[in-house]
Amino acid sequence: MRTLLIILTLVLPPAVAAEDAGIVLIGGGDWELPIVREDTGAPGRVEDFLLDVRQVSNADFLDFVRAKPEWRRDRAPGIFRDARYLSHWPQADALGVGNAAPNRPVTHVSWYAARAYCREMGGRLPTMTEWEYASEKQRDTLSVAPEDYAHELFSWYANPGAGALRPVAEGPAPGLGIHDLHGLVLEWVEDFQLVLGRGDDIDLLTGSCGDTARFLPEFDEAHYATFLRFQSRSNYQPDTTTSTLGFRCAYDPE
Amino acid sequence: MNLFKSPTIVTAALAFGLAAGGLNADDRLVHDGEFIVDGKIFGLPEARVYTEDYSGPPVVGGYLTAVPNLAELDYEGNRTHEVRMDVIAQQIEVAPGKFYNAWTFGGSVPGPTLHVREGDRVVFTMKNRSDEPVVITEPVAGGSPFFAQVQANPIQNNQPAVSPMPHSMDFHSGTVAANDKWQTIPPGATIQFNWVANYPGVYMYHCGTPSVLMHTAQGQYGAVVVSPKEGFPTEADREYVLVQSEFYLTEDEYSGGYRYDHAAAMARDPSQVTFNGHVNALHDAPLRANAGERVRLYVLNAGPSGTSSFHVIGAIFDRVWYEGNVENEWRGMQTVLLGASNGAVMDFIVPEQGSYKIVDHEFADAERGAAGTLVAGPRQ
Repeated sequence: MRTLLIILTLVLPPAVAAEDAGIVLIGGGDWELPIVREDTGAPGRVEDFLLDVRQVSNADFLDFVRAKPEWRRDRAPGIFRDARYLSHWPQADALGVGNAAPNRPVTHVSWYAARAYCREMGGRLPTMTEWEYASEKQRDTLSVAPEDYAHELFSWYANPGAGALRPVAEGPAPGLGIHDLHGLVLEWVEDFQLVLGRGDDIDLLTGSCGDTARFLPEFDEAHYATFLRFQSRSNYQPDTTTSTLGFRCAYDPE
Repeated sequence: MNLFKSPTIVTAALAFGLAAGGLNADDRLVHDGEFIVDGKIFGLPEARVYTEDYSGPPVVGGYLTAVPNLAELDYEGNRTHEVRMDVIAQQIEVAPGKFYNAWTFGGSVPGPTLHVREGDRVVFTMKNRSDEPVVITEPVAGGSPFFAQVQANPIQNNQPAVSPMPHSMDFHSGTVAANDKWQTIPPGATIQFNWVANYPGVYMYHCGTPSVLMHTAQGQYGAVVVSPKEGFPTEADREYVLVQSEFYLTEDEYSGGYRYDHAAAMARDPSQVTFNGHVNALHDAPLRANAGERVRLYVLNAGPSGTSSFHVIGAIFDRVWYEGNVENEWRGMQTVLLGASNGAVMDFIVPEQGSYKIVDHEFADAERGAAGTLVAGPRQ
């Protein structure tokens, strides 16, 4: 179903197709991640990519699970998801109310499951760079002050409203035409783990005290809030699922 | 090659000692690879990270208490403690009307105080339950004394919250490779590791996950008291634990209540500085003693960034053991300076019936809440 929409999108000008098809073209450019990563010293270049306008919903994911029953919570192999995978659904193939309602973002999904979903849709998970690039462009378009961005993020981390998530994509899509990049649930990205150099050793960022300053080009609130997203994402395992972690897919332009 | 640096050979030598009649046989070594230097145990086994289907009490262990209580060590010599402190999010109040969603060990800020004896071993288990609401204010079967004490004095009005985040545990009382034992685990995972109380003291524990300033300012810290093997040279009539810490809160324009203020934390400009996690903790429930009694305070300054010039108005500390080690004895101290994560054991003799204010003599901190009261009754 979504595969068909993608094909349609690609033969139409993106600006026309975006809101209908649910996919938006993000024009690439030269860009540096807001976090200093030691594994990529070269200047950053982001190529054009397509991104889902909205996060994947429970209804979307139920369609996927029905088409690919090996991803039902009672069949998916344990190495691909933790014990809480889709645990908010009343049944393995049925939705419910509240956070399990069809229009709520799907949560309690592992990185493996998110990747399988996007592959099924003819896409992939966005890379960390792509996702962060879209996030920053969205904030630029909306003229969000760095302090406001930081304050909202700090508020969300301590109180993400996990008990009563809002539906995905409420109201008109802001900025670049993308819903819910911030403030609803976090999103998986393809390369979610930061690499940390430690002499000859390397470490996925499981670091301890003192592993912050070396990642931050500025010590202002906005960079710190962004780092918090990188850090928390980096400490997930690919089988991790939480009540505030979902995803959307990206696609390569033809 | 120094043969005695090889754990295998040390273990073999100890085993031989045991066979030869128990001379210096050390059954304190539990796992392959453990070794002893200067009577202290090192080389502990790797931490185990796993998932478990556990939804029981978030604090388990008989020697875990809520501040200002300290568990009595009702055993001789050394033992192994099975200790659990799960990470849970909790809405707590730190001043009248000032509440926020804290990240905690066990549900209070500071977290439970663990009391062990020098030489004891701790098998520590922690599940990251930041993604589930956990109630600590109702009777908990199988939990530690901590719960009854929180429920008897619920000054933080602890309410369950959900705030999924990766977290870790760093015990300053342990001597280990931090990248192993203190490693960060995601929501839903459990970590288990050993540490041995090699040194006596009043130690901090805290979450060490970057950004550590936010994780600690959010509430993830507490105290471990390691009593010296031979005890202290004086006999205390009363013992209390005090943990000083700063909070950096501002009104939350998005969710109501209060939230972490990173700019204030970086500027070391706290909104509250407290003893035991609430500006009124030691006013609503003052410490108690009687004239002529020797009061022993186990004081930890948890920071995260400030110092404490700890002082009791009207008293002089008869003895101070800095960091809680009997080797570090001071006498007749008016004020004890504690940097972030320093601790001390302080004895004073209550001069007469009356009210004794306990303050951080850095008055900008005292006036933000770092003050309490000890109420003394007549001489018994």
